[in-house]
Amino acid sequence: MQQKPRAYEVQLAVIGSGLAGFAASIFALERGLSTAQVGNTGAVAYTTGYLDLLGYHPVTGQQMLHDPWQGLETLRRDEPGHPYALIRNDEIADAFHLFTRAVSDMGVNYSAPGENNLAALTPSGTFKPTLSVPLTMLPGVEAHRRAARTRIVDILGLKGFSAREVVANLQDSWPGLSAVTINFPGMESGSQVYPEVMARALQVPAERELFAQQLREVAGDAEYLGLPAIMGIHEPDAVHNDLERLSGLRLFEIPTMPPAVAGIRLREAFEQIFPERGLLLIPQQKVDRVTPEADGTTLRLKDSYGDVSIHAQAVILATGRFLSGGLEALRDGVREALLNLPVTQPEGREAWYRERYFDPRGHLVNRAGIEIDPQFRPLGRDGKPASKRLFAAGVILAHQDWIRQRCGAGIAIASAYKAVESAAAMLTRQT
Amino acid sequence: MTGTPVVDPIIDFRARAEELLPEGASYDACLSCGLCSSGCPASGLEGMNPRQFIRMAMLGMNEELSTTPWIWTCTQCQRCTYVCPMSIDIPALVGMARGAWPWEKKPKGIVRSCQAQLRFSSTSAMGLRSEDFIEIVDEIAAEVREQDDRFKRLNVPIDKQGARFFINQNSREPAVEPEELGPLWKIFDYVGADWTYASKGWAAENFCMFTGDAAAWEEMVRKRVDAVNELGCKVWVNTECGHSFYTIWKGIQRFGLEANFELGNLISYYAQWIREGRLPVNSEWNRDNLKFTIQDPCQLVRKSIGDPVASDLRYVARKLVGEENVIDMQPCRSANYCCGGGGGFLQAGMTENRRAYGKRKFDQIMATQADYVLTPCHNCHSQMEDIGEHYGGHYRVVHYWTLICLSLGILGENERKYLGPDLAEIGLQS
Amino acid sequence: MSTRGHEAELFETDVLIIGGGVTGTGVMRDLALRGIRCLLIDRRDLNAGASGGNHGLLHSGGRYASADTETATECRQEGAILKRLAAECIDDCGGLFVAVEGDDIDYAERFPERCAAAGIPCEPLTPAAARELEPGLSDKAFAVYQVPDATVDPFRLTLENVNHAQQLSDSQYLPHTEVTDFEMDDHGAITATLCRNNRSGELRRIRASQVVNAGGAWAMEIARMAGCSDVSLIYSKGTLIISNIRLSDRVINRLRPPGDGDILVPGGTVSVLGTTSDNVESLERIRPTVDEVERNLAQGAMMMPRLDHTRFIRAFSGVRPLLQASGAGSDGRKASRGFTLFDHESQGLSNFATITGGKLTTFRLMAEKTGDLVAARLGVDTPCRTATEPLPSGDAIRWTEPGFAARYWYNRRDPKDMILCECEMVPQSAIDQIVEAAPGAEEKMSLEAIGLRSRVGKGSCQGSFCAIRVGSYLYERGVYDSPDGLRQMRNFVDGRFKGVRPVLWGEQMTQMELAEALHCGLMGLDKIGSNEPGSGE
Repeated sequence: MQQKPRAYEVQLAVIGSGLAGFAASIFALERGLSTAQVGNTGAVAYTTGYLDLLGYHPVTGQQMLHDPWQGLETLRRDEPGHPYALIRNDEIADAFHLFTRAVSDMGVNYSAPGENNLAALTPSGTFKPTLSVPLTMLPGVEAHRRAARTRIVDILGLKGFSAREVVANLQDSWPGLSAVTINFPGMESGSQVYPEVMARALQVPAERELFAQQLREVAGDAEYLGLPAIMGIHEPDAVHNDLERLSGLRLFEIPTMPPAVAGIRLREAFEQIFPERGLLLIPQQKVDRVTPEADGTTLRLKDSYGDVSIHAQAVILATGRFLSGGLEALRDGVREALLNLPVTQPEGREAWYRERYFDPRGHLVNRAGIEIDPQFRPLGRDGKPASKRLFAAGVILAHQDWIRQRCGAGIAIASAYKAVESAAAMLTRQT
Repeated sequence: MTGTPVVDPIIDFRARAEELLPEGASYDACLSCGLCSSGCPASGLEGMNPRQFIRMAMLGMNEELSTTPWIWTCTQCQRCTYVCPMSIDIPALVGMARGAWPWEKKPKGIVRSCQAQLRFSSTSAMGLRSEDFIEIVDEIAAEVREQDDRFKRLNVPIDKQGARFFINQNSREPAVEPEELGPLWKIFDYVGADWTYASKGWAAENFCMFTGDAAAWEEMVRKRVDAVNELGCKVWVNTECGHSFYTIWKGIQRFGLEANFELGNLISYYAQWIREGRLPVNSEWNRDNLKFTIQDPCQLVRKSIGDPVASDLRYVARKLVGEENVIDMQPCRSANYCCGGGGGFLQAGMTENRRAYGKRKFDQIMATQADYVLTPCHNCHSQMEDIGEHYGGHYRVVHYWTLICLSLGILGENERKYLGPDLAEIGLQS
Repeated sequence: MSTRGHEAELFETDVLIIGGGVTGTGVMRDLALRGIRCLLIDRRDLNAGASGGNHGLLHSGGRYASADTETATECRQEGAILKRLAAECIDDCGGLFVAVEGDDIDYAERFPERCAAAGIPCEPLTPAAARELEPGLSDKAFAVYQVPDATVDPFRLTLENVNHAQQLSDSQYLPHTEVTDFEMDDHGAITATLCRNNRSGELRRIRASQVVNAGGAWAMEIARMAGCSDVSLIYSKGTLIISNIRLSDRVINRLRPPGDGDILVPGGTVSVLGTTSDNVESLERIRPTVDEVERNLAQGAMMMPRLDHTRFIRAFSGVRPLLQASGAGSDGRKASRGFTLFDHESQGLSNFATITGGKLTTFRLMAEKTGDLVAARLGVDTPCRTATEPLPSGDAIRWTEPGFAARYWYNRRDPKDMILCECEMVPQSAIDQIVEAAPGAEEKMSLEAIGLRSRVGKGSCQGSFCAIRVGSYLYERGVYDSPDGLRQMRNFVDGRFKGVRPVLWGEQMTQMELAEALHCGLMGLDKIGSNEPGSGE
C-alpha cells in the first residue's frame, strides 16, 4: 500500500503533553514560534486542577507556606540545585500570569496568582497549599475562610467521594458544615456514576435546570454548596455560573480522585484550541527517536496512521517522570527514556525509597532527574550541554520533590517559561 | 440481547494478549485508574466497563469474558485506548472475544450482513448483486441527466480501466435510497474527477470485521483490493462512510495484502477541491445562520487518519455553512465520543443498550444547540437520527454531499430527504 | 464473658491461646471441637507472622524428601487430610520439580527414590513434555518430576478456624492484644495473663485454666516471659515476591538443595516466588529488602526465564521459627522443619504449653497434639476431630481467595454493588459482610483488618486507589466519623508500601508515583494531624 510519509518542519518541537509541555507550547505561541507538540498524556490526567507553586518548605514542615514567594527565597538558599534556583521570582510570577491567562482564554478560568498560597479543599477534608485554582473551585476557599454555612454534597453512585468524610475531617474548624447525598438526574439507579459523565451532561442547558432544582431542594439554610468536581468539562465557568444562577446558591467544586475531570478539562481545551492557533499537535503519541542533524533535530514517531517526522530547530524535552514515561526505572538504575541523558540518582534501589512511606523528608528517588545549565539545556555525561538545540522543562529536572513540596505545576510552568525563552534566544542567534 | 452462549474453546485472554501486543503496549501496565471507563459510553451496559474487562482478563476470568454480551455493546471505537495514559488497547481483546463466539450465537443482524457480503462478488452487506447495482446506477444517472441540464452529460463510469479514483459505495444508497447517489456524482462531475465504480468489490461496508472473524474480514478486503488492482486505479477513495476506510486500511496492513494504490478519503478531497477553487462553495445560502455541528466518525478519525482529517472536516464545514455557524461538539476530533452506531451495534438488535450508549452523544449534540449534525458516516447518521428521535432532540443529520450540492445550487428536489423545511426550498431551480 | 474493672478489663475462659496464626487458630478450633471454650489473642491480627508470610504451598513432601523423610511423610499425610476437609482453601494444582543446567545431576537422579521412601507419588516427565504443561519453563531444564503439590490460602484457613470455633463454643478472638506479663501462683500455675490493647492502649486481664503459647516466632519471648528457658528458636527470615499475574499453572520447584528463588507458587490469580533464608537476631523491623528480591529473581529466572521481565507488585517477609536442635548448627535451611510441643513441666509450670516450629502444611497435626495435652490437663477426654470434621466456610470469610470476589460480583449482576477495589474487583457487599461478621470484626474496623480479610489492596495498584475508595465508603457508612479514618488510610498504604518498596521498578514504579501523588498531593495524608489551615494566615 502506498502511503505518503508525513513530514513537518517547525522552529520548536515540544516533546511531552503534560503541564510543562502545554505551558511550553503556550509560551512558544506567544512568542510567535512555529511549534509542534507531541506526547501522550501522563500525569496531567490525574491533576486536581490546582496550580501549586510551593506548599511546604522545608519539606518536613507541618505548616503550609503562607507566602510561597518568601518560601522560594529560602528554598534557593537551602537547595541550590532546585530548578527554582535558576528562576527569579519575577520570572515565575510572569510565567504563572501568562499561563493562567492563556488557560482562562481557552475557557478554563483560573484565579489570578497572588501574594499568598490559598488553602484549597481536598476530597479528604484536608487543605492543599496552592497558588491558583480554577474559578469553579475558588468559592470553596472563600467559604472556608468565612466559615460560612456550607453543605457538602455527594452523589449516589460516585465512588471515592464522601461528603461525610469531608465534614468529619473539617467539622472542628468549620462548625457550619454539613453533608448530604443527592441523586444525579437521570442517573438515579444507584449504579456507578462518573464525574466525567455528569460533567458532560451538565453541558446541556436542560440538564442544568434539573440539577439546579435538586441542589435547591437539599440546600437547607446553607449559603454555599460544595460539590465534587462535575460542573462541566468545556468552559466549566459558564456551567458553574449558570448553575449558580439557576439555584440561587454559591457553588464550588472539590477535586475528586481519578478518573476525575480537572485533567480532562485542561487536555481537551488544549487539544481544541492549539490546532486552531496553528500549533501542530499530535496528541496521545510518544516520540520514538530523536536524531540530531547538522541543521536541526528530527523527531520520529508512529501515530495510528503511520510514520511521522518533525524537523525542528529547537527541542524542549518535557516528558515528565515515571508516570509519564520521561524517566524509566530499571532494576539497575533510573534512565532517561528518550535520549538516554544522564540521570542524577541515588546509588542502588535500596537507597531510592526511605523505609517509611510517609517519611516527611520524602523519598530520594523523587529527586532524581536530569541536570541542566542556566539556559535549561540538559547536561550530557561530560557535564556540558548535550546539544545547543535541546532544552528541558518540568518535573524531569533533578533536585526537586514535586509531590511533597507541592510544586509540580510551578516547576512545569516556570521551567517551561525559561526553556522557551532560551530556545527563542538560540533561534534568534541562529537567524 | 443475545443470551449467554456456550463457547468452546474459551480464550486465554492474557496469553493471547501477550502474542498480539504491539511493542510497548502492555496490558500489564494497567494502573487501574479508570480513565478508560469514565470516557466510555458502553460503561455500565451489561454490568461491565472497560476497566472491569481488563481486570477480569488479568485475573484470568476467561470464561466470563468469552461469554459476556458486553462485547457487542463495545463498538471498538478505541476511545479508551486514546485516553489511557498507558495506551492500553482493550478493543483488541474485545475483537478476540467477538471472534470466539460461535456463529449461531453472535448477533444475527451482524452475521446476516457478513454472510451476504461473503455470498456475492459485490461484497454488499445488503445482498445487492452487482448486476442490480449497475442497473440502479444507470437508472439514477439517467434521472439526474434528465432533471438537471447542467449534468446532461453526467457519466457514471463502471470498471473504467486506469481511472484515477476507485470509488466505493455504501450499499445503503443503491439499495434503499438511490436518489441519494446523485449528489456525490454531481460533485465528481463538477470537479472533473477521473473516477470509476467497479462491478465487483464495490461495496463499502464490512460487517465481517464486526463479527470478529478475521478470516472473513480478510476475505472482504482481499476482494476489494483485487478489484482495485485489476482496474489499475491510483487511489481508492471511500464514500461518506467511516468504517469503509478503516476496514481496508487496517486490513491491508493486518493481513499483509499487496495493494498497488493509495488510500484516499473523500473528505480530504472535498477540502482540496475547495482550496483549489474547483468546488466554489460558499455559505451565502445559510441566511438564517443555522447552526451545524460535526460528528467525527471514530473509524475515520481516531482509528485511522487522526486529527488531519478532523481538520478537513471542519474546513469544509466552515466553508459550507459559515465560520461562525460551526459549533464543535465537546470533546471532538480524535477525542470524540462514538455515537454507538458503529461496530455493528445498529444491526445487533440491542436497541435499549444502543440508545443508552447514545445518550452521551445526544447530550453532546444538545449542548451545541445545533440545528444540524454533519457527518460523513452512514452508521453515525442512522444512530444520531434514532437517538434524536428517542430522546426528543430537534436536530437533523446530513451528509456533506448534500450541503456541498446545496451550496453550489445543484441539489435536486428529490435529494433533500435529510434537510428540514428550513432548507427545503433553498437553491431550487425554479 | 468480660467485665470491666476500674483498671483492666477482665476476661475469663478455659483456655487462653496466644498467637492468631494458623497454629493458634488451629488449636482454638481443635479445642472448640472438644467442647472447650477458648480465648484467642494476637498482638496484631490474624496471620501477622509466618502464617501470613509464606508462599501458601501445601507440600506434597517433595521438598523435604531428600533430607528429612519424617517431615516429608508428615507433609504428605497432612496434605491429604486438608485436601479432603478444607477443599475450598486449596488449589490442587500439582507441582513440578525441575533441575536446570548446572544443577547437581546426582541429586536430581536420587529424587524419585527419596520420594518413594516417604510415600510421595513422583512421575518423571521429559523436559519437552514438561514445557507442554508449563510453557514458561527454561529450555535448560534437564530433569523434571511431577508431584502432588497444591496451594493453600492460609488466610482463609485461619479465618475458617476461628469462625468454626466461635460457632462451636463460646470462644472469642481479640486482635491487637499483646501479652505484657503473667501472674503465677506458688504452684507453678499461671493465674492471669496481663495484656495491653495495642489500638486503644487499655489493659486486659485474662484468667484461664490453661495457657497455650502459639506465638510462632515470638513463642520463645512469650515462654521466657513465663519464666521458661526451654524454648530455643532460630529466627529465619524468608522473603518472597508476588507477580501481577499468575505465571504457571503448577507449583514449580527447583530440583536441588533448598536455596533462594527455588519455588514459584501460583496463588489463584498471582504467583509467588521464594524464598530467601537469612537468620536474624531480632523480630523487630522485619521487612523485605532489594537484595533479597534480587537473589530470588536471579535464581528464579534460571528456572522460569520470564521472571526477568515480569511485573512484581509486592514483596513480603516472614520469620520461620526453627527449633534449635543439636547438631543442626545455625543454618536455617538445614534446621528441622519439624515441630515441638513443650509442656514446660520441666520448668515447673503446670498449665502452660508452647507449640512451635513446624509448617503451614502440618498445622493441624500440631494443633491436635496441643489439643490432646490441654484436654488431658483439663480432664476432658473427647478425642480430636479435626482429621474427620470438614472446615465450614461462611459468608464473611470467603473474600481472601484471589478471584473469588470478582466472580461473585460478576455472577451476582447487581449494578448497585459497586466495586471498591478495582484491581481485585472487591465489591462493597464484601466490605459490608466483613465489617459486620468476619472474625475479629470491630466497631471501627481498620482498613488493614479489612485488607487482611479480603483482597483489598492486594492487586497491582497496591492501595493507590482502593484505600481512598474503601475509606470513603466506610465514612459514608458511618464506620468512620472522625479524622481517624484518614489515619486508617494512611496506615493501610504505609503497610502496603513496606512490601512494594523493594519491587519498585518498571510498571510498579509508575504505579508508585501515581500512588504518592494521590495519597500526598490529592489527599494530603503525609500532613494529616498537623495540616491545620489558616495557622499561617
